Amino acid sequence: MNFAVVLLALLGSVWVLAVVEGWTTTGHLRPAAPLLSGLAHLGRESIVPRTPDRVFFEAAPVLLLIVAVLGAAVLPLAPTLVIADLATGALFINAALAYVLVALIMGGWGPNGAYAMIGGWRFLGQLIAYSMLIVMPITAAAMRAESLLNSAIVTSQAGLWNIVYQPLGFVLFFIAATALAFRSPFDLPTAAGELAGGVEAEYTGARLAVLRLARLVLVITLASATTVFYLGGWHGPLLPPWAWSLVKTLTVSSSMLLAGHHLPRIREADLLGWCWKLGIPLALLNIFVVGLLVLVVP
Amino acid sequence: MTSDPVMTSTGARQRQKRFAILQKWISRALAHNLSCLIVPGPDVALAHGLDVMATGMRITATPRDAGVLLIIGELSEKMSEAVTVLYAQMPRPRAILLLGGQTPSSLPSADVSAGLSQEALTDATEWLRRALAEGAFATSPEDFDASVLHARIEYVCPMHPEVVQDEPGSCPKCGMDLVAREAGKDECAGETTAEHGHHHDHEHHHGHEHHHGDEHHAHDHHHSHDHEHHRCGAHGHSEHDHSGHDHAGHDHGAMGFMSMVEVTRDLPRSADGLAMDWIEVPFGPVFPGLPGGLKLTLTLDGDGVTEGQATSLVGMATEGDEVDAGTFVEHLASAMPLAPVSYRLLACLAIERATGLEDDPATARARASALERERIASHLGWLAQLGRQLGFAWLTHRASALHLDIRHASQPQLIELGPALQALATRLGRTPLLKARLKGTGVLPAGSSGLRGPVALAADEAGDAWTRLWQRLAEITASLDVIKTTGEPELPVLRNIGHVSGVGEATVETPRGLAQLSLKLEHGRIKSYTLDTACSHHIGLVAKLVEGRELGDALVAVGSLDLSPWEVIS
Repeated sequence: MNFAVVLLALLGSVWVLAVVEGWTTTGHLRPAAPLLSGLAHLGRESIVPRTPDRVFFEAAPVLLLIVAVLGAAVLPLAPTLVIADLATGALFINAALAYVLVALIMGGWGPNGAYAMIGGWRFLGQLIAYSMLIVMPITAAAMRAESLLNSAIVTSQAGLWNIVYQPLGFVLFFIAATALAFRSPFDLPTAAGELAGGVEAEYTGARLAVLRLARLVLVITLASATTVFYLGGWHGPLLPPWAWSLVKTLTVSSSMLLAGHHLPRIREADLLGWCWKLGIPLALLNIFVVGLLVLVVP
Repeated sequence: MTSDPVMTSTGARQRQKRFAILQKWISRALAHNLSCLIVPGPDVALAHGLDVMATGMRITATPRDAGVLLIIGELSEKMSEAVTVLYAQMPRPRAILLLGGQTPSSLPSADVSAGLSQEALTDATEWLRRALAEGAFATSPEDFDASVLHARIEYVCPMHPEVVQDEPGSCPKCGMDLVAREAGKDECAGETTAEHGHHHDHEHHHGHEHHHGDEHHAHDHHHSHDHEHHRCGAHGHSEHDHSGHDHAGHDHGAMGFMSMVEVTRDLPRSADGLAMDWIEVPFGPVFPGLPGGLKLTLTLDGDGVTEGQATSLVGMATEGDEVDAGTFVEHLASAMPLAPVSYRLLACLAIERATGLEDDPATARARASALERERIASHLGWLAQLGRQLGFAWLTHRASALHLDIRHASQPQLIELGPALQALATRLGRTPLLKARLKGTGVLPAGSSGLRGPVALAADEAGDAWTRLWQRLAEITASLDVIKTTGEPELPVLRNIGHVSGVGEATVETPRGLAQLSLKLEHGRIKSYTLDTACSHHIGLVAKLVEGRELGDALVAVGSLDLSPWEVIS
């Protein structure tokens, strides 16, 4: 039951996000556009490039989708509304998200095209840059809750959301989440102006539909993770808990989209430099400060 | 057990009916979701005043994502070849929409062709939608094949480059096995050993544009695709045995693990000291991050550029038949779609000088206004292109909208748009990441010669992409100030010159820099002419700007030059 409800919520959020995305690019609010676009993809020829690595080529979009859904599976929408509230949920989501990299490398290598391959390797190059900034803020959130149970992390924020308790962690996590979802301005693996779509460049038809869907689900999953770890999850007045979760998730995911619309793509060297030299020390500082607060403040 | 034939056919009919409903829905969805690849590029569409987004079509970055090939204007022969490969890469159902030109002979005839105007584009798009909604599944598509998609394979002796034949075999001189290579790829013959390991007789052509060739027919040829090893001897390396590298690196069909150390043992080391597979990758001539018609060939190791060069596939050829003066003006203006007014003015001025006509001050002012208006529009077009390159959607959207407003605006309208232009500049100054992205990128090497226009003016300071951006923004303001004093813009029109003869020369400061035209007039006809443009010089800067740069920086550096491939005189 929970499984169906969470999946439905995920699909619904993806739909809203796709409508918002269409609205920002075309200026028209078309509720049916995502469905039509999906149907249109099914109607197009799904081309397999010459001499592909067939396994990698076919598996990459599906793997990305599975990874995104797996990540969402451990994030609670309401106190009991979660597919699997694992005792190691906060750790599990890290493990699941690590496979985003694998999916992108497979998608880059599979089609045997230069643009896709460079896109895949670019993402590999950024691995430490973004993943450290995912792991360390989650660590800080878990420290406060003194639990790796995601529902416990939400409960720990009942009085004060983590965005206020540890604002630094939130900023770092939000940026890293955008980078992990390879959305603009961190869209280095798929950059249209540099790689003509990069990892996405060789996919067509149904495979492209799966890949696009997976990308949107990934954004929702990461927005949901931001909500759970930093925005107090289901907590909020008046509305039922699940509604708060959805509202916060959609706000975070939409702001990820809108921010990218107004920013130029970051230089790869800058992304690496800033994350390594500035982001990681700041994330450590955040852990230190949270540690002090946990010890000192009763 | 035999099934009732009547039952079966009813079942089949029901299935067919159900499928027909699905087909109908998919067809409608396809019609709603038109996406187009613009040839030569969105910059050219904008320069012609076309607002493609207004038709509801999405502009795609790759042919893989496009359902419509939107061809704008006449295509040069080289462009036609590249476009044919692009068309082959598009998934079916696919259509060709032709605006103001003729279908290249290598492509199937256009599904719709129309004039070069927004109304025509809108009508043609509507027609395509209707046709697609009704007939996406109507006919069984024919296989598309064109000679340009094939490359001839010849066999050559590794030791004796003069031994070339069409069939595999052994060398008559030394008895070695001949190795295959693509015909016409022998610029570095003699330094190249087997690059293509095992070829079949025919193989799809590759490397003309975005990706490798057509994949509609599943060929299982071994092929090095875009991932060619660097071949020329410019780096002082030659005689590597490249055979096998293609397989190790990319042709990963049925191979075992091969370590990178092993693969790159004999390859030259790049600037960062890492041993990488070198690949030669074409960017353009239809590439979202570059002006349409410009082809950039980069040798990459990893995502660092080892060397690169730019060529124009649409550059104007100055040889031609002798034409009358009026035709010449039109010809020159239409050959330069990114700055037609400047070149129209240049042609008019040169011809008028040749005939000895006096300059009329009023006309000169109106012409100056038109020139400055085009400068603003052209710089806005460049900003839109910068936005496309940097994935900065807001900038593309805003600059395109302003460009469309300005290209035919009257003097009062232009003055009214002043604050909006100022706001755009202010906004760019405040945009986070933009300075970090442009500053220090594309720094002109000391002692660069042949610089003109904004590139030259910005060279005095840092001479990087950031100063060039601000130079162009400053020119927009300066042009507006000029228009305030020169009055209403008026397109240059050639005055009646009669059947005179003479020699004339004129210069015009085009948006990209000084252009000079000298011509010889005989009885009102252009006998011969020479044209010198800024971009012909600037294109030579590319090699220096991209060398040793990261791929993204190299592309930004090239973009910041505002090269118009049309203005590269071949």
